[in-house]
Amino acid sequence: MKKLLLTTLTVFAFSAQADYLGSGHNWNTGSSDPFGAAIAAAESGYAANLKAHMAWRDTGKMIKEAKKLQASGNAAGAVALANKAHTQTVNAAAQTVGAGSAGPSF
Amino acid sequence: MKKLITAVVSLGLMAGATSAIADMEADRKAFVGHFKSIQPGVEFADYTNGVYAYDAGSRDQFEEILDGIPPYEEAVEKGAAEFEKFGLAKCAALADPAAARLAHPYYDDAAGTVVTLEGTIRKCYNEQTGKKMGPMKGKVARISAWISDQAAGEKINVKVESDGAKAAYARGKATFYAKRGQFNMSCADCHVYNAGKKARADILSPALGHTTHVPMYRAKWGSLGTLHRRYGGCYKNMRAKPLMAQSPEYRDMEFFHQAMSNGLEITDARYRK
Repeated sequence: MKKLLLTTLTVFAFSAQADYLGSGHNWNTGSSDPFGAAIAAAESGYAANLKAHMAWRDTGKMIKEAKKLQASGNAAGAVALANKAHTQTVNAAAQTVGAGSAGPSF
Repeated sequence: MKKLITAVVSLGLMAGATSAIADMEADRKAFVGHFKSIQPGVEFADYTNGVYAYDAGSRDQFEEILDGIPPYEEAVEKGAAEFEKFGLAKCAALADPAAARLAHPYYDDAAGTVVTLEGTIRKCYNEQTGKKMGPMKGKVARISAWISDQAAGEKINVKVESDGAKAAYARGKATFYAKRGQFNMSCADCHVYNAGKKARADILSPALGHTTHVPMYRAKWGSLGTLHRRYGGCYKNMRAKPLMAQSPEYRDMEFFHQAMSNGLEITDARYRK
């Protein structure tokens, strides 16, 4: 019973924390190259969105802008923007799931 | 017992096949029925006028524009001259312009793809001149508008018959209804479910009848543009990345979109705000 309670509380704690992640959350805290990891995630997500014809309008621009920020020395801004672009690609991927079978609701 | 199972499965398969055949017509009837339910006072035939079927004030302005010299008249005349100049009548698919408008879009089983009027014009232009033609505006829109004018008064009659055509139609339908972009919207969100309502200062046009007046002249563009140019604009408004005009996805969507307007008259009144 104690084990069950501990497991339940642990799962609850993790899921509650996940719910509170904002769009500016740094997904790559543990990485030695936060920007590299963030931009790679954004780029691969964007490539998948493009392949599915479900990319969002501004994701590509955000990736470019993030690279410019990184080049100009604004590492924190670059990581934040790359993460924002990555979040867009995750949301676009979620839209892709039902897109092939979408139909009317009347 | 085995016989019973076989009979049930066979009946199920037959029902599935029948529903696939009836899909487009059933979809169209439901589509038209939806517009009848949201705007019971608007006659089906009036949807050929698009958004001007909904709003009396806009309709008056529209008719005033048509009573004068429509801003696209010169461009359409230029399209006629270009049709002649580039020898497009030499291509069998365009030899009879009115018939060409009525025949497109169609599913080409041999090529395994939807063929649009603009696609045929571009292909013919390339054959006759050796040059490429853009897919959204300029020559392609002018020539397509002139060709469409020749079929004014005829009714749209898209056929969805072969298995390939049905698959393309189904893909186009899904594209039309799929939510996309940062606003998580579909084409249907504006032009089906909320048609007739206002988005800022504009009245959302009904998807029923959208394809009766393409290519359209938009005051916002100050020129003629193809249906795929408009698709691109709508995608941008939804904050989705537009696809290429004449891409297979847009061609499939046009196939579905035009089929939903089957029975409506093609019109040469191609002015839109």
